[in-house]
Order: sequence, then structure tokens, then C-alpha cells
Amino acid sequence: MPETWLETCPLRELPVGSRKLIKLNGIEIALFNIDGTIYAIKNRCPHRSGPLIRGFIDPAGGMKCPGIKCPMHGWRFDLRDGSSERPVQATVYPIKIEDGGVYLRLP
Amino acid sequence: MEIEGIDQLITNEYRFFLQEKRSWSLTVESQDLELVAHALRVLLHARTTPDFAADYLALVDCQNADGGWSPYSADQESTVWVSAFCGLMLIRGNRLLHHERITKSVQRAIDYFLDTQKGDGRWTDPRWADLDTTSHPVSFFNVVMALNESHRHADVLRCWEHGARFIVDHQGQDGGWYDDDFHPSGIEITAHLIQDALVADLVIDNRIKGIHESCARGAAKLYEWQAQDGSWDGENVDHTMDCTRSLMVVARILNDTRAEDVIMRGLRWILIHKNPQGWGDFPGMETNLERTCDGLDTLLKYKAYQNHDSREVMKLWGYVS
Repeated sequence: MPETWLETCPLRELPVGSRKLIKLNGIEIALFNIDGTIYAIKNRCPHRSGPLIRGFIDPAGGMKCPGIKCPMHGWRFDLRDGSSERPVQATVYPIKIEDGGVYLRLP
Repeated sequence: MEIEGIDQLITNEYRFFLQEKRSWSLTVESQDLELVAHALRVLLHARTTPDFAADYLALVDCQNADGGWSPYSADQESTVWVSAFCGLMLIRGNRLLHHERITKSVQRAIDYFLDTQKGDGRWTDPRWADLDTTSHPVSFFNVVMALNESHRHADVLRCWEHGARFIVDHQGQDGGWYDDDFHPSGIEITAHLIQDALVADLVIDNRIKGIHESCARGAAKLYEWQAQDGSWDGENVDHTMDCTRSLMVVARILNDTRAEDVIMRGLRWILIHKNPQGWGDFPGMETNLERTCDGLDTLLKYKAYQNHDSREVMKLWGYVS
């Protein structure tokens, strides 16, 4: 089955240090540009549904990858794979940049 | 703020809350028990508990064998934070319902908390910070004592005091409480701890030395943390509701008039950022039911706070019978 990549936004709309909330197929997804790398994570925290788009970027700091901390109760999720020290992990999405656009693949 | 306007808002929001019953009632299907506990608290404070006895009994039905509850009603593994919230709603609800099954359930919950306390006085839960988690059984035991539930009284007293001391001992030098992982800003956790765990001692037993000062320092930190627009924690609706509600009961018990203006600014901000029905987690976000329960609870507590008899607001935390 061919991979289906969905266009999210032009890369110029997501400069380094910025974030953007998009909706694809009814799913809210938070996009982050951290030091030139784009990350995509399901916007709702699996703990109490806090909006990760309002979360705090947590530098790698000994972790594998930068993380996002939920603004509600601080659950941290690795932005590369969604892993967490908490009981549930978050959903992240593969990203590719092509022709000046940011593309994302849903599972 | 005009109380008449608040009354109308409560009526409208309560109607919306009832329309959404399918999403919070255990009599309909299995549920997220943290949301269920939020909903039962609304029923308590709206004084409609007797109309919903089946919901309280359904919560008894999903209690686990160890006396605790799981975050989701269909699960079997108990966790502390939600267990204390459920136990608290049942003991308070049973003041009105007088049901033997609820009485037994509360006693099993007491056993669960006595069994799960750690050696240093804390309780733990992988979903919540240790300080926040500890505040919940301490709060539950506050109400157990305030309502004269005598089951294993000596053990309850010992564990409650140990838990409360753990909280007091972990207060920061500046008056706030912090948890680097869950609550680095300290705002929400400070609001929770002073209202849910500590201030009750001043009206129940006054056993722990330094509680008055500890609460006063925590409240002063909340005043300091409030933004110019009246919100807390970066326009966080949940945390602004937590701080506003906390200061209502703390200010009444401490008789601290400085809180008046802080509370009113918080409440105005909450009302400005209300959706047509309910509240979202941040301004402009879609309504969610848990936040709507918190919003309704804030309004109902404000009504009690407006009554200058301090017992009226203390009742809404269960600290007086």
C-alpha cells in the first residue's frame, strides 16, 4: 500500500522556534520547529487531554530528544517517538519536508 | 459582581451539565472516574445529590477489592489520586443519602489509604506528583474526621498527621510548593495543597504546629503569582479556577481580607473566558466537561463565599458537617 503524505502547511509558516496547531482528518496535531527539526504530536495529552500546543518545550537534557511538557500536569513526552516516563505514551507522526511544504503521515 | 447574574449562569451551566449526563454518569456506561468525581462534586454543591443516588451507588459498584478505584471504571488496578477523590465524594454524598453500602465502601477506602501510605508519610501515584497525590488522602481523612467517621480512628489520625507533616515539610522557602516534573511553576500544586490538605486542620483539630503560617505563606504566594489580567499560570483556565477556589476557603478560614480583590479578579477572568456553554482549558479552546464541572464548582463556591458566615464555604470542602 503506498504511503500517503498529507500536506500540513508551507515550511515558511513554521519558522524555527514556532509552533502551529493543525487539524487533519478530525485529529488535532501540534507541530513544533525546534532548532530546524519539525515534530508532530497529537495535541491532546493522554493524561487529562491537556493541549500540548500550549505545552513547555523541554530540551533534551539527558533525554534522547527534546520533549513537550503538558501545561496541565507536566507529563513529558519525547517528541521523536512519544515515549514518556508516565504510564501512557503520546502519538507522534512522521514528517517530511518537500518542495517547501511540511508533510505528515497518519497511521 | 452581582449574585443574581451568577445565579442565572449557574442555572444555565447546570442545565448544560445535565444534558451531558451520558458522558459522566456511571448509570449509563463505564466512565473516566476522575470525570465522574468532578461531576459528583457538582451534584453535591448544587445540592441535588439525593436525586442522583444511583450514581453514587454505581461508584460503590466499581470499587476494587483493595478498597481503591482505578482511573477508568472498567479497570481493576487502584491508584491513589482518583481513589481519594471517589472516597471523598462518597463520604460527603452519604451525609445526605445515609446508605449502608456507601458507609461500608467508605470504610474500605479508609483501609486502602491506611495500607498504601509510604514510610515517610507520602502517597504515590504514577499519574500525579507525590505532593499532589498525598494531598488527596489527607483531604479525604480531613473529611473523615470532620464527619466523625470512627472506622479505625486511631490509625486514621496517625496516617493523616504523617501525611500532613510530609506536605508542610516540603514547602519551599518562598511559601510555594514545587515539583520539578509535574508542577515546575508551583501554582496549581500550591493551590491544591493549602485548600485540600492543610487549612482544614485549623477548623478540625489544629494539631499540626505551623499550619496557619504555612497556609498564609502559600496564599501570599498565590497573590504574587496572579497575572495582571486576573489569571494564573499563563492563562490556564484550570489552574485559575484552582487558585480562585482555593483562596475562597483559605481566606475565610484565615480571615485574610487581602484575598478579596485577588478572588474577584480571578473570577472575572474566568467569566470573561467562558464559552457560550462551559469552559475550555485555555481561552478560545473548545469546551470540555471536566473544566465545565470545575467552572460550575467555582461559581457555586463563590456563592457560598459571598455569605460572610465562614461555615458556609467550609461546608463546600466538607470541613464542617
